[in-house]
This record gives sequence, structure tokens and C-alpha cells, in this order.
Amino acid sequence: MKLRPEQKATIRRVVSHAVLISLLALVLVPYIMVVSASLRRGNFAPSGLLPDHVSLEHWKYVLGIPYEEVVNPATGEKRIVKAETPPLLWFWNSVKVSSIASICILLLSGTAAYAFARIDFKFRSTTLSTLLILQMFPMVLALVAIYVILDFLGQYIPALGLNTHPGLILVYLGGISGYIWMLKGYFDTIPPSMEESATIDGATQFQTFTQILLPMSLPIFAVVFILSFIGFMSEYPVASIVLQARENWTLAVGANSFLAEHQKLWGRFAALAVLSGVPITIMFMVCQKFVVSGLASGGVKE
Amino acid sequence: MKGVPIRQILVVLLAVPALALSFLIYQTGNFYVALALLLVTCLGVYIYLNPSANSFRYLFPGFLGFGLFVIFPLVYTVYIGFTKYSSQNLLTFDRALALFRQETFALNTAASYKYTLFAQDNGQYVLYLEDVKDAARRFASDPFELDPEEKAKAEQEPVKLNALPAGEEVKGKPMQMAQINRAKLLRPLRAGRFGLPDDTLVGLEGLTTFASRQRLWTQNPDGSLTNARDGTVIRPDFNQGFFVNDTGEKVGVGFRTFAGFYNYTRILTDPRIRGSFFRIFLWTFAFSALSVFLTFAVGMLLSVLLEQPDIRFRRTYRTLFILPYAVPGVLSILILKGLFNQEFGAVNELLRSIFGFAPDWETDPWAARAMILLVNLWLGYPYMMLICTGMLQSIPSSIYEASAIDGSNRVVDFFQLTLPLVLPAMIPILISSFAFNFNNFNLIFLLTGGGPQMVGGNAGETDLLVTYTFNIAFRDSGTNYGLASAIATLLFILVGALAWINLKLSGRQVKI
Repeated sequence: MKLRPEQKATIRRVVSHAVLISLLALVLVPYIMVVSASLRRGNFAPSGLLPDHVSLEHWKYVLGIPYEEVVNPATGEKRIVKAETPPLLWFWNSVKVSSIASICILLLSGTAAYAFARIDFKFRSTTLSTLLILQMFPMVLALVAIYVILDFLGQYIPALGLNTHPGLILVYLGGISGYIWMLKGYFDTIPPSMEESATIDGATQFQTFTQILLPMSLPIFAVVFILSFIGFMSEYPVASIVLQARENWTLAVGANSFLAEHQKLWGRFAALAVLSGVPITIMFMVCQKFVVSGLASGGVKE
Repeated sequence: MKGVPIRQILVVLLAVPALALSFLIYQTGNFYVALALLLVTCLGVYIYLNPSANSFRYLFPGFLGFGLFVIFPLVYTVYIGFTKYSSQNLLTFDRALALFRQETFALNTAASYKYTLFAQDNGQYVLYLEDVKDAARRFASDPFELDPEEKAKAEQEPVKLNALPAGEEVKGKPMQMAQINRAKLLRPLRAGRFGLPDDTLVGLEGLTTFASRQRLWTQNPDGSLTNARDGTVIRPDFNQGFFVNDTGEKVGVGFRTFAGFYNYTRILTDPRIRGSFFRIFLWTFAFSALSVFLTFAVGMLLSVLLEQPDIRFRRTYRTLFILPYAVPGVLSILILKGLFNQEFGAVNELLRSIFGFAPDWETDPWAARAMILLVNLWLGYPYMMLICTGMLQSIPSSIYEASAIDGSNRVVDFFQLTLPLVLPAMIPILISSFAFNFNNFNLIFLLTGGGPQMVGGNAGETDLLVTYTFNIAFRDSGTNYGLASAIATLLFILVGALAWINLKLSGRQVKI
């Protein structure tokens, strides 16, 4: 039997929806389970869509609010539990480190990208390629050297040493070459005619950069900020070596500490993941349009 | 820039602290670091004050960070790769030598001295010694600190005692035996090292006397050391990074030494490393290739499905499918680690209730590998989906119309029209995704930690080269920076070459 074109289209639509919905279930179920694990009493690995014994104990723990816990069910003996350092502090540390580092990245890569896009100098294209290739060296494996540098710096400027946030930010500032490429790619798409006419009117180079090119490039700066911010929020190895004191940890280091080999505190981890993951996810979703447009110019999220 | 010379003021405000820091570093004895900082500062001042260095004004700040935290660590790591530097060869040669020079032994014919400690007004002390047998032999030190916290350091020179001429007395207040507090004074006094003018060392023996001690090793002009007690000679062996005696036995602590290609040949020849290295290399390669293929396939499928104009809720679908890209990766990885928990995880609960079997995600190597690929697919498809969507939207719809007239169907269209159009443009993206996964440290480190352990090897079954190297450098008991750095260098060459090929292929971006 031969199907009519309308029937074929209906079958195609139904099959498409079926595939999309089943894949979407695979994507969403883990997140729903984490929310439910964060609300379930006890520290169990995430499973089940709805928590059986609803309790806010993990949320309270993460927020640093004291709560009562039954120690011995037979006697009903209770004790007060309160986190010494509220785990949400790690989220705050991460936000602080990531946003300052991202702003500095914008400054450094923005000015460098301007030079690569607008000023002619010797070895320009070679330098640009070299930057990208050198950046392929995995930062994890340079940790010995990074450790040595921070240890040395800390002897002279304690605020930049090991176990400090400024020190970590400083290390993060090395990773600019990918962003230089993105920004330069965007600057190249803006015709230089406006800047040229401003120069004729007597504007200095710095003025044409800050007052003409920068305002026109705000979208790509938003992309670079978001990508680098999210990248730093997820950065684990360098932060875990540089930051040693519990109250200095970032989200990644702290979240992983709940899942140590001998004692896995899934409930607390889940609560931390929900409380800190939701704001970032919302931020990303709001700025999604920017990000998608920026990806076309070759940004890779790490 | 009329009126206030802002730029000049800024340059001064930044240059002055930099110069001060440079001087501080110089004072503490790090000549080359101070020199480097001085040169960089001068370069900065030149660039920002000289109109002809214009383009570098925009590059300088970025390059500074890049140089310090990318290029320097890279060069340093490559350098360490050519040295022996591990938990066994940890100290620099100078420090190892200083440790030997610090070793002393008590002579049988030891002279003993009565001692008195003179407290000075400024909190320092002067040590006074008088030979028990010969009261004319008297010695006194310059004032020195007795810090209870400070341990005897290998590099620290002994406190010198000078002969005290007859008739001269030591300044300060002599302390009674009972005043010498155990923890505060006696312990640092015992740990301290003191030398007489004739280069013999003296140390506190018991509570009341100092006795002369002699250095165990004396240094010969050819660099070898002679044992003063039994006369054996040891010389530094710079191949091994140890001092060896005449029979070739290692003596004392090891030191860092230049080793040429030693670490590299070890990767190729040492059976313990070679076996696991090549298995890990194969897995790293397979993991990266499969990850790229799977994420691309699923991302492409989704973007094609969502590009059909007559599908409802396309925007909603698209937004929800991007979710794994929006949530911070670390959290997603750890969440999925929980779901794949072997005993209590949701995945196995579901599989048990439906199929009655549950893979050992954590202990079976193949199951663990499959899990890693699934998790990475889950994390990585949204990026591919976004890219593919952009590419699909740039294909003019007229080419499909032409083929529709010929009576072709959509699947054939996809493989004969869409894919050949999209694939060439995708190649740079696929290569950079491959390179990214090649060094995907977070995924493996947080998800499996490299486990399960490889039988008879020093690595895990799911270790990537990057986690394997990290473990050699930081985790294992036998920390080996040299070997780790050599592997890191190889990794860099490999991934760097990929990046270079990528640049050549995507020539559209390098049009400068």
C-alpha cells in the first residue's frame, strides 16, 4: 500500500516527537532526581523521581542553618547539626573568583584582540597561531610549575600566594588565547571605516577603541564573559591544588569533597548542586542567544 | 589626552612597586628572578611611554599573564622532563651536599667545654665556652637568636665562635642553669650548630657541657667527599642523581639531575610503564574519537529533528536540550556518578527491575568505559547540536526542493546533500573537540578516578594520559615529576600538532 504525502508527514511528526520526548526524558530525569535527593532524608545516591521522606535537612546544612538530627531512633536522642563552614560559601567563593577572573580576562583578551585585529605589526599571524597552539598544553600538567610560582610569589606578596583567591585568579589569567581568537574574529567582522573616519576627526587610537569598537562589540564580550565564567566555575584540578583551607574552597572542590571515597554524602552534595547550579543555569539560559551566536566564531566550552 | 598625563601617572604607579619588589627579591638572593622582573618592568615602561611601541600597549598585559602562567610552566615542565626529579631525587644538588656537610660525629678524643649563656638586652644570646682541661681556651660567639620554632636547616651555616683573649669578658647577663628553660632555650640550643675557629664543630652533649664534633664528610677539590671516620670516598653520580661509593652503592639522599632522554627512553623500554602507557594511549585515543563521533551523531540527529518546520514546541525542546551545557560540568559529572552508582544508583535500579541484570559500572573495565562514553555523550551533545543547528540554517532550502522534485526522501537527502555540505565545515570543530577530550581531565578524574585498577599495572583501566600523568606527579607514593613532565611534553606535542593541523584546515579564520 502506498502512503499519501499527508500520511507520511504525520508519521514523520509522530516519530520525531517520540524520539525527542524519550531523549528529553534521559536528559531531564537526572536533574529531577538530584532535586529529589536533596530533599530526601539521609545521604542516599540519587534514585527515584520523588523523595519518600521529605526533609529540608540538607538544604539547611548547605545554607549553614542548624537543624536537629535523630542520632538514635530507639531512644529518640537528638543532636544539633550545623556546618562549620556553610557549603554555600564555596559557591560564593566560586562566583567571586570566576567573575573577577572573567572581568580580567575581558580586559586582557580585549586589548590583545584589538591589537591583532586593527594594528599591523611583525609576526602578527604567527603570534596568533602560536598563542593557540601553546594553549593546548594542559594546565593540569603544569601544576608543578604553577605551584612553584605561587609559592615563590607568596613569599613576597602573601596575598598572591598559595591558598589565596587572588593567587588562583592570577593563574586563571593565563588562559586567554581562545578568547583572543573569539574577540579578534568578531572585531574582523566590523568594518574599520567608522574608526578611520573618527581618526580623521582627531580621535586617538585608544579613543576609537573604547568609544567606537567596544560599544559595537558588547555581544561578543558577553559571550566571552559567560563562557569563561562557566569554565572557571567548573575548574577543578588547579583550584584543588592551590586552595587548601576548607573556607577558601571553590564550588568544584567542595562539591567533590562530599563524595570522598569512604563517606559519600549524596544528600548534601545534591542540595549544594541544586542551590548553586540553579542560578548559573538560569543565567546561562537567559544569555543563551548571545552564547549561540558566539559559538559560531569558534568558542569551545571547557 | 590633554591636561593630566594619566598614562604617565599610571605607568609610574605600577612601575614603582614593581621595582621595589624586584629589589626585595634581589635582596633575598634570587638574582635571576629579580633581573627578569626588572627587565619586564623596563619593557613595560618603554612600551607605555614610547609612541613607536604603540601596538604592544594593547598586547603587553595579556602577554604578561600568558607568559607567566602558560609559557613559563610549559618551558619549566619540558625542562623537568629532561631531569631526574622525583621523591627519590627531590633536593637540589646544593641542598643534598649541604645535608652531607651537616652530618657530624663525636670524636673519641673529644674535648669538652663548660658553657654559659649570656642574655643580651635585645633578646639575643651569646654563647661562651671554656675548655674543661685548659681554662685558657675560651671562646665566645656573636649575639644570635635562639628561636624555639626554628629547626636546624641544612643550608644554615653554623654559628661561629671566636677565641676570647685572656682578660676580656663577655657582655650581658650570665644565665644560671636553672634559668635555661627546656623548651625555649635548651632544645634550640641542642639543635643549633656551632663552629670553633679551627672549623671543628661543637654541640651540646648532655645538659652541662659542649663537646667537639667533627664533620663526617670532607669535601675534596674534585667534588668527591671523604668519610672522616672510615676513609671511604663517595662521589656524585650525575646519571643516577646520587652519591655513590667505590662499589657503586648509593649513599645518602638523592638529588635532582639532568637526565637527557632518560625519562623518554623509560616510557619506551621500562616494561612496567610501557605496558600501561600504550594501553592508556589506545584508550585515550578511542575515547576521544568515540566521544566526538557520538556527540556529533546525537547532536546532528537532534538538530535535524528540530529543524523540521512542522514540528511543534521546537523552541521549548531546544531550550531543554541545551540544559547539560548550561549546568556547570563538575556538578553534572558528579550527579551522573551518583546515578551510575553500582549498588544504589538509579540506572542499576531501573535495569534490575526491567531486565534483571545490572552492569558493574565501577569494577568492570568495559562497563566503566561504556559509562564514561555515555556520560560524555550526555555532557557533550548540546554543543554539537548548537553548532549543527547553525550550519543547517545556513544551507539554502532550494537544494532540497530540487531533490524533492526528483522524488528523493529525507534520509537519502540527509546523507547525500546535508552531510557532504556540513562535514567539511565541521572538521575544525570536530578536531578541537577531539583535542579537548584527549585531555578531558575533569570527566575521568571526577567520574571514575581512573578506576578500576589495572591488573599488575600502576594505572587505572579508564585513565586517560592526562589523569595517568597527574597521578604520577601528584598522587602515587613514588611521586615522579620528571617522568610526568616527559609524558606531559609528549601529550603537548600531540595535541599541539592537532591544533596546528586545525589552523591550517580552517584557513578561513587565519586570513589576516
